[in-house]
Amino acid sequence: MTAPVLALSAVTRRFGEIEVLHGVDLALQAGEVHALIGENGAGKSTIMKILGGFLQPTTGQVLLDGEPAAYRSGPAAEAAGIVVIHQEFNLVPDLSVAANIFLGREITRGPRLDHKAMADAAAALLARLDTPIRPGALIRDLSVPDRQMVEIAKALSRRARVLIMDEPSAALTRREVESLYAQVDRLRAEGVALLFCSHRLDEVARLADRITVLRDGSVVGRAVRGEMTEDGMATAMVGRELSDIFPAKAASFGDELLRVDHLNVAGAVPVRDATLTLRHGEVLGIAGLVGSGRTELAEAIAGLRRSDGRISVRGAPTQIGSPADAARAGIAYLTEDRKEAGLLLDKPLTQNLTLAALGSFGFRIDAAREAAAMADATRDFDIRAASPDMQAGSLSGGNQQKLLLAKTMLTEPRIVIIDEPTRGIDVGTKQQIYRFVRSLAAEGRGVIVISSELPEVMGLADRVLVMRQGRIAGEVAGDAITEENIVRLAMGVAGGAGGAGSTRQDETRKEPA
Amino acid sequence: MIRRNLLKLTVAAAALSMAAGQALAQDAAAAEPVVIGVSIPSATHGFMGGLNWHAQQTIDRLGAANPNVTFVLATAGDAAKQVADIEDMLATRDIDGLVVLPFESEPLTDPVKQVKAAGKFVTVVDRGLAEEGIEDLYVAGDNTAFGRVAGEYFRDNLKAGGKIVVLRGIPTTLDNERVEAFQAALEGSDKQILDMQHGNWNRDDAFNVMQDYLAKYPEIDAVWAADDDMAVGVLEAIAQAGREDEMVVVGGAGMKEIVKRIMDKDPQLPVNVTYPPALISSAIEMTALHFMSDAPMAGRYIIGSQLITPENAERYYFPDSPF
Amino acid sequence: MTRRIDFHLLGPLVALIGLFILGALLNPAFLAPANLSNVLARSAFIGLIAVGMTFVITQGGLDLSVGSMAAFLAGAMIMVMNWLAPITGENWSTILIGMAAALLGGVLAGWVNGALVTKARIEAFIVTLGTMGIFRSLVTWLADGGTLSLDSGLRGLYRPVYFSGIGWITWPIIVFAAVAILGEWLMRHTRFGRHVEAIGSNDRVARYSAVDVERVRLQTYVLLGALVGLATILYVPRLGSASGSTGVLWELEAIAAVIIGGTALKGGRGRVWGTVVGVLILSLIDNILNLADIVSPYLNGAIQGIIIVLAVVLQREKRPAEV
Repeated sequence: MTAPVLALSAVTRRFGEIEVLHGVDLALQAGEVHALIGENGAGKSTIMKILGGFLQPTTGQVLLDGEPAAYRSGPAAEAAGIVVIHQEFNLVPDLSVAANIFLGREITRGPRLDHKAMADAAAALLARLDTPIRPGALIRDLSVPDRQMVEIAKALSRRARVLIMDEPSAALTRREVESLYAQVDRLRAEGVALLFCSHRLDEVARLADRITVLRDGSVVGRAVRGEMTEDGMATAMVGRELSDIFPAKAASFGDELLRVDHLNVAGAVPVRDATLTLRHGEVLGIAGLVGSGRTELAEAIAGLRRSDGRISVRGAPTQIGSPADAARAGIAYLTEDRKEAGLLLDKPLTQNLTLAALGSFGFRIDAAREAAAMADATRDFDIRAASPDMQAGSLSGGNQQKLLLAKTMLTEPRIVIIDEPTRGIDVGTKQQIYRFVRSLAAEGRGVIVISSELPEVMGLADRVLVMRQGRIAGEVAGDAITEENIVRLAMGVAGGAGGAGSTRQDETRKEPA
Repeated sequence: MIRRNLLKLTVAAAALSMAAGQALAQDAAAAEPVVIGVSIPSATHGFMGGLNWHAQQTIDRLGAANPNVTFVLATAGDAAKQVADIEDMLATRDIDGLVVLPFESEPLTDPVKQVKAAGKFVTVVDRGLAEEGIEDLYVAGDNTAFGRVAGEYFRDNLKAGGKIVVLRGIPTTLDNERVEAFQAALEGSDKQILDMQHGNWNRDDAFNVMQDYLAKYPEIDAVWAADDDMAVGVLEAIAQAGREDEMVVVGGAGMKEIVKRIMDKDPQLPVNVTYPPALISSAIEMTALHFMSDAPMAGRYIIGSQLITPENAERYYFPDSPF
Repeated sequence: MTRRIDFHLLGPLVALIGLFILGALLNPAFLAPANLSNVLARSAFIGLIAVGMTFVITQGGLDLSVGSMAAFLAGAMIMVMNWLAPITGENWSTILIGMAAALLGGVLAGWVNGALVTKARIEAFIVTLGTMGIFRSLVTWLADGGTLSLDSGLRGLYRPVYFSGIGWITWPIIVFAAVAILGEWLMRHTRFGRHVEAIGSNDRVARYSAVDVERVRLQTYVLLGALVGLATILYVPRLGSASGSTGVLWELEAIAAVIIGGTALKGGRGRVWGTVVGVLILSLIDNILNLADIVSPYLNGAIQGIIIVLAVVLQREKRPAEV
């Protein structure tokens, strides 16, 4: 075997008193895809930051081509051919796609920017990624998946020798995931060394030539392609056998809790004529491609978007014109955009927890009751935090999601809408969140789960609505909840759906007289 | 250089204006329409407020008496705005004459020169331009005299060894001229200047500075406030400290309330020094006369600063002016 | 875990204590109760406004109009009282009506600013830049370019509101202290304060948390307007007058005090105590520079600038080495 391009040798890293990496060895070979897997907090991010030059090891060495690496910063690492694509995008919203790709390395002709050359080069890169994004579009106008593609294009333009990706597919649609995989294969063939972290074990199995499993800052498993099944990976990550990840579904439901009739929502993806019902104790899944109007529908029900149509809660027509109206009606919405719309990242956990429910803490906020609520939430939702005074932004993704869940539940909603409940969350925490969701339903609440991960919708929901191009394309329930049925509806492919449950397609649906 | 005092000039100008009015009334039909632009700083403090008032009064009066004369008045908050005003007057209002009180000398010199080059009649008021010989007519107060008259009063009337504190204006050449003349007048006398700080011709700032003087100096015999707006703040600070009997206050520019108190023989306010905002009236009147009579209107008119005393105060008291 | 030290408050506090020691060393008169009383009372106007400004800035807004608003309210208040004096007499009820007018005017003016920002969705900077000009022009117009003065009988009655109190602790000091305590309580311990911080930190998160973002924003402008009205109530009895030059640059002093105090200019973190410290720093600098002859008065602005920057540098948090 040739010498690795980039390697860690017995690397430890301390933050103050706490050692988060214990003597990690890792070797990235040219032309090889290496997956780093582990639960949140296992040390993956720290390793990526050390490789990318953003952090220095406390002891041990980073070796570049067998020699101790000289770079001490992100830009220096980039100059040495090591490019990191962070999970948090590093794009300037008000600049164009092309300007972002060439930010800091602008092509100039004399003192003047060569806009055409940059646009052409950007267009070529985007074409390579098989994405229809225009080089002149502003980042702020792009969807999250499109931004991810721009990040990848930007990395490609850097001519990386080593490419490090943190959850590269988390925000991508199916089609884009495929083009991402094609790019990974291409880069591998070109001799680039790739390292990626992912919570999608199928993706790891599909892409990785070599797998390193991390737990609590130590390497607990190594495998080459084909040696480890997805189950094996999960077991190695959590250190115990994972029983069925999804809790059992409900046997029966209560009365109708929420009814939405002919709801129209204006927006970039207009929702038209959406009708749905939700019963007490039911988990309703909403599936569909990104951009099919799922979030728009949910935000309209939560009073965050203007809409027309009728919404009834427990049989009573309810006017919902603002988030406050929705809160009064007992409707709570957990956004998919945790960092931008869910939590105040620079504020302490406690302030985040009580923000939506401050009304119940008195005009003068009762600090003791607030602290008690925090203690309860920490226990009930298993939030792992050093202190309730720490900033929400320094929690891991899984703990942020639990905090958001706790924050929402503090308003004691009857109807909970959760958008992408487990995005960027490790498998152990996912299981916890699934249990929370099911227990909410068991308490008699109605839960709507929106997710791009089909297994999640299928495993969690009692009934699934599938959206397509702003309309509810159909509904599947019981044993009819199969990947095939959902995909057919989502793609608009008509055809015989089967199974003991029920399938309904909107096109053929008759309105009751 | 021609030097006259304010009263003579005003009387002369008024007489001429009347004459012009009559002349005009006689052959109104034949008179050519005349547009005169007036560009002055906006009313940001009392003195400038008074000046604005006098300008407006004069324009109203002359405009009513002479229907063929149109005035274009523009007030500017800074030099750049004033430059733009003057350019607009020349370009769009087709002025025949310009009366300008430059906000600052340097930036206004060139624009005013353009007006002159276009063959217009130019009157510069109070603040000279950076280049000599541009204007046809120059009407100004006398800053050196303003400081000297106050200094001479202190030199001659304060007890031996008298201690004086000074409140300066906004740091400008104008302020420097006044303060230097004030110091020169006291040179060689046995009077002592304790301190000089900027009160920025502002009541509130002057109040604060005076409070601090009073805290700092147990013994003060006289205050030169150099501006009646500042004098108002100074008087209030002295009253707060209960030291009204210790010191006299000399302001400047003849604010009507202050002049009234001098008339009433207030021991705290023995005298005042004129720097009349009405000089703008003279400038506008003389410019109008240039177009309406055959009297040659050119040269430099420096309006000297006078000492207002209880005896002559009545002549300087204009109850209707806002200043 | 060690107790976290709030550098945002410590920095300015260190600067304040440093200034205090410096003042005492330079001139023993600095520590005299009369001087301290002067400094604190002077701080009250900017202080009240800055407390309100803390809320506006914390929610992510800005108000440039407060200085002009104060001048306008002072002018309006004086006109109301002068107009009422012949009807209701020169007594306290007239003054109380004047006070109510100032407060009501402040609330209205703040509401206009807030409504333009939240309902018409115009940038706060632009809205308040506009109203700044409007209020300033209005007071100049009301005063006819000059100065509005309060009826002398009312003035005598009203004067103690600025100048007396409990011993040397005068009313402005008492009101400032009460508002500061109330402001800190409001920011730190109430739902309103929490919402203000949340909106400044991330208004989208606040909206998604069912906070009525627009209403809370509007409330901060109204609160600020009311405090400007309160400041006016304390300002008018001092000199009994208002003019176009009243309250010039107060907005910048208030904003500077807020920022020195550790409130983030981009919003999200409000420190009312810090603002109080910031206000005191600004007025102490003036006071010390007047009391001590250490530098040329031309350099006063430079000294202020250095201390402002230093106070902000001192409050930089030492961040752990992270990306």
